[in-house]
Amino acid sequence: MTRVVPVPQHLDHLSVDQLAAGLGPWPPEQRLLVDAHATEWASPAGFVALITLGQALAELGAPKPELTLPAVEGVASYWAKVGVLRHAEPLFQLHGKVPRRRVSETSDIVVPLTIIRNATDVHEIVGRLTEQATQILAHELGLESSVVGGFGQSLSEACQNIVEHAGTAGSVAAHVYVYRKRLSGRKVAVIAVSDAGIGFHRSLDATQGKRFGDRWGDAQAIETALIHGISRFRDPGRGQGLTGIKRYLARWEGKISIRSGTARVAIVPGWDDEPPRSEGLPWFPGAQVTIVIPGKEPSA
Amino acid sequence: MSTIIRLDLLLREAVATPYRDLVTRPTGAAVRQRVLTVLRNTGEPDAQLDFSEVGLLDFSCADEIIAKLLVETLGLPVQRVMLRGVSENHADAIEHALARYDLVIVAVLTQSPEPRLLGAAPDDWRAAFRALTPLGRAPAPPIADALSWPLPRTVAALEGLARRRCVVAHPDATFELGAVA
Repeated sequence: MTRVVPVPQHLDHLSVDQLAAGLGPWPPEQRLLVDAHATEWASPAGFVALITLGQALAELGAPKPELTLPAVEGVASYWAKVGVLRHAEPLFQLHGKVPRRRVSETSDIVVPLTIIRNATDVHEIVGRLTEQATQILAHELGLESSVVGGFGQSLSEACQNIVEHAGTAGSVAAHVYVYRKRLSGRKVAVIAVSDAGIGFHRSLDATQGKRFGDRWGDAQAIETALIHGISRFRDPGRGQGLTGIKRYLARWEGKISIRSGTARVAIVPGWDDEPPRSEGLPWFPGAQVTIVIPGKEPSA
Repeated sequence: MSTIIRLDLLLREAVATPYRDLVTRPTGAAVRQRVLTVLRNTGEPDAQLDFSEVGLLDFSCADEIIAKLLVETLGLPVQRVMLRGVSENHADAIEHALARYDLVIVAVLTQSPEPRLLGAAPDDWRAAFRALTPLGRAPAPPIADALSWPLPRTVAALEGLARRRCVVAHPDATFELGAVA
């Protein structure tokens, strides 16, 4: 028996909830068929979530899931271009025509989908960013060099969260695209990081769980890390990564949204209306961090 | 006299690859250990960490290299550690890291030759530091005059800076900026 897990038509950090809802009980009792045939668009957050799902199933020793590729013309080809299919192939049995397109670095792809296993991978990602993405961020978004530097710092810290806390590998992708629903069509840079690890709740449980008693859960764990800058390490310098990202985003009207387990907590700028705290969401493995940095407002 | 420590060179030693970016905690800890080795063996009273050839510095690495280094140098013979060749982005990460420990350091940024304080420094310390900068070495009274402050307030600020090893307090009651002046 196979369970069909529909992928939303538009897969982003919020509609990952629909993907999660399709998973059913975890670990799955049946083989999963992740059906993206009707998917027309996915954000970096959607891409890394798909890879996390495949990774989580592989780490469980579950039967290799199937992934039906998007049928809409050009979409699967784009998935190949941004590096998704290369990393999906070992994790999923792919159905549909698999484009043999190379991963390319174009004006909308700041970081193609990349796997993060250790600190060396973080060095590689940041090293590549400083060379090529500076131009993309400066030209496509009109960002000044200080904003671009902060982007690199945020990318590095978000990736390090995986190495330091997840207990397993994860992935990152960063793209530039037009925000049509918000910001009057301004361009944004989005960093999405996801892992199939232990999640915020388990990571902080031993040091923070007792403090909160009955209130302790996924949402409280994310808030503890994101809002209060607390890490599972007792070292006073720990927790700098997320607080540093937060400070940077506050300065440039950026947004951060973290999903882990059954909750999502976001720090939401004035231009967006994502709920700051959502609980009782369908469970999804690991943790997902999405960072949005708006481009410069076009001059009138 | 001052020992100049090029962080880009220590980074290459630490990670054995041609990276320019100071990122990740393990890298920061490895570079800090190398800096400490240099400081243990230097005969100079001052040391300057040179960021000129460093690309990105992230918050975690700033914590490992700068904040923890300041804590660990307290037992070493070196009197002061300062920074030079610091970009705005480096400064931002360093300020963020030092604020957590209530620490402060003197830095010269690439965009201006004038030294400034990075980290947790009260406004009085910053004002006294700015007033001392053009003088290089001075007793408290001319600083108090320049700021139109009472002498005890000026002395308190300068002594605070000296306690955090941002200036040197000499036995003749003068305060000195040192190598970055």
